[in-house]
Amino acid sequence: MSLNPIERAQGLRIRSQQDMAAGLFMVALGVFAFVLSGDLPLGSLRQIGPGMLPKSFAVICAALGLMLSLASLRYNGEKLTGWAWRGVFLVLGGACLFGLAIRGFDIGPIHIPQLGLLVAGPLVILVSGLAADDMKWKELIIFAIAMTTACALLFKYALSLPIPLAPWLLGI
Amino acid sequence: MDMIANLTLGFGVALSLQNLALCFAGCFIGTLIGVLPGVGPIATIAILLPITFGVDPVGALIMLAGIYYGAQYGGSTTAILVNIPGEATSVVTTLDGHQMAKQGRAGVALGVAALGSFFAGCVATLFIAALGAPLTKLALLFGPAEYFSLMVMGLCFAVVLARGSILKAFCMIMLGLLLSTVGTDLETGQERLTFGFPPLSDGIDFAVLAMGVFGFAEVLRNLENPEARDVVKAKIGRLLPDWSEIKQSIKPVLRGTFIGGILGILPGNGAVLGPFASYTLEKKLAKDPSRFGRGAIEGVAGPESANNAGAQTAFIPLLTLGIPPNAVMALMVGAMTIHGIIPGPQVMTKNPELFWGMIASMWIGNLMLVIINLPLVGVWVKLLQVPYRLMFPAILIFCCIGIYSVNNQPVDVAFTAMFGLFGYLLIKLGFEPAPMLLGFVLGKLLEEKMRQALIISRGSFMTFIERPISAGLLIVAVVVLAIALLPSISKKRDEVFTE
Repeated sequence: MSLNPIERAQGLRIRSQQDMAAGLFMVALGVFAFVLSGDLPLGSLRQIGPGMLPKSFAVICAALGLMLSLASLRYNGEKLTGWAWRGVFLVLGGACLFGLAIRGFDIGPIHIPQLGLLVAGPLVILVSGLAADDMKWKELIIFAIAMTTACALLFKYALSLPIPLAPWLLGI
Repeated sequence: MDMIANLTLGFGVALSLQNLALCFAGCFIGTLIGVLPGVGPIATIAILLPITFGVDPVGALIMLAGIYYGAQYGGSTTAILVNIPGEATSVVTTLDGHQMAKQGRAGVALGVAALGSFFAGCVATLFIAALGAPLTKLALLFGPAEYFSLMVMGLCFAVVLARGSILKAFCMIMLGLLLSTVGTDLETGQERLTFGFPPLSDGIDFAVLAMGVFGFAEVLRNLENPEARDVVKAKIGRLLPDWSEIKQSIKPVLRGTFIGGILGILPGNGAVLGPFASYTLEKKLAKDPSRFGRGAIEGVAGPESANNAGAQTAFIPLLTLGIPPNAVMALMVGAMTIHGIIPGPQVMTKNPELFWGMIASMWIGNLMLVIINLPLVGVWVKLLQVPYRLMFPAILIFCCIGIYSVNNQPVDVAFTAMFGLFGYLLIKLGFEPAPMLLGFVLGKLLEEKMRQALIISRGSFMTFIERPISAGLLIVAVVVLAIALLPSISKKRDEVFTE
């Protein structure tokens, strides 16, 4: 007798999207690292070369990834969930803006002046604060000002870290 | 006796005005972040690492240590009042602690947790002081081969004790090891995996990786899954347990301290296991196990003592062998190296004031924590009402200032954001990033010791098996892995971690 549809359905298929993706990710990472370390000499066991460990770790990563992918065909697990892109952009973008503003930057022809903490601080708080669903403008603005002041006092004066506050305005 | 002389030296260091203030600051911040769900000790220590640059190394480590064990106290407050473990080690406390709070006995639960933790902290301090010297002597017998095997064993424990799938924890360790090889090769000076990109030739900065993965990525994770907070409305009630409650909790506290203390020494985050083991034991020993889960005081006293004892004995492998047993201790290694101290057995001989000062400060810190926690409980409850929409921008600005001050390099902030994205990807793929950090920190040391051992043995891998201590450590590693992979036991492990 041939297999009935239910039995056939028990064959191999992706039962955990998350594990499948995680496994493929590890494989890709391993292959990538292996290719990158391609020209590093392996050396011998007596005198290990610079390429020995990166290459072996890369191979093990890829092998583990392969095992993970294969396991995802047999065992049920989590599904992949979508990315919350808004949070990613606002939070990480806010941090990058802080980096750009704190000491000034030259990217090719673009020149960003040194704005200092008094600009960079409110910038990171306001931009990242937008990521919250229950954001309130007034509260966020007050919080940004208060937090920046507190940080300036704490880091610049109490801990005397060399952080520019607002060189274009105050000269410090 | 040596120990008394050493402890006197330690207290002399720890009782200086500056160190007392730093210890208090550490305990206070630790309690704060322990109370606030969504901010863990790993992230906080990573964020505060740069702040300690201006302080001398002893003070810096005293403060960072205070944050770590302070978080264990604070974590129980949230567990009891809100039913959210503020910290991984207080998961078990939610079971009975929150039930007690619902019955109007929140104060007693908090009191027992704090007093039990204090007792455990005192015992653990003595334990470290007593074990420190002999273990350091033992460590001096260790050659490169033994160090290598010890680290392999630690990483195996980390795999087994990690939450979630063993295979995935394995992946994270290997990924951490792989990341640790980025940068200039120490022996030949060749660049490895740097894409020819100059900032990478010194390797990936530890603070950048830690803050990206634990600061930024955690914020992204929390933004996506907002936690429902169910703050107990019932009144907190009296804090001090009465005589019958004390009698009920003495034995669990003693057993919890013992179990937690022993497990805490294990490399590979044994401290996480303590509270679970203690809870299971108390339930087994109880005359009426059905009381557990419905507000049994033993279910709070035992695990709370265990997690605090474990948090402190976890310093033993770090201080004596220079090997961090978990991600927080890995951060401590980062802090020590930033201050020019190489963790290992030589710390005790070269910097006795650091070693003993830190140990003495732990006892003082525990005393402070009882004071911070019990009378101020009302303040902490208020703090729980700070909404996350304000908390995460504050975390971010601290992160940004912190990373920037490590090298005064704005590029580092962008790097960190990149690792934040990477960490978010890992979370989305169901990986827990803590073992990665451990692998990353141990990676360089592992490679160095392996190379040394193989040079000494002239390229023979047998050296790791022929030397008895090294062989013993490797056997333990294999046994632990084998046990964890056996189906019947791995099923039990899942139960322990999901309970």
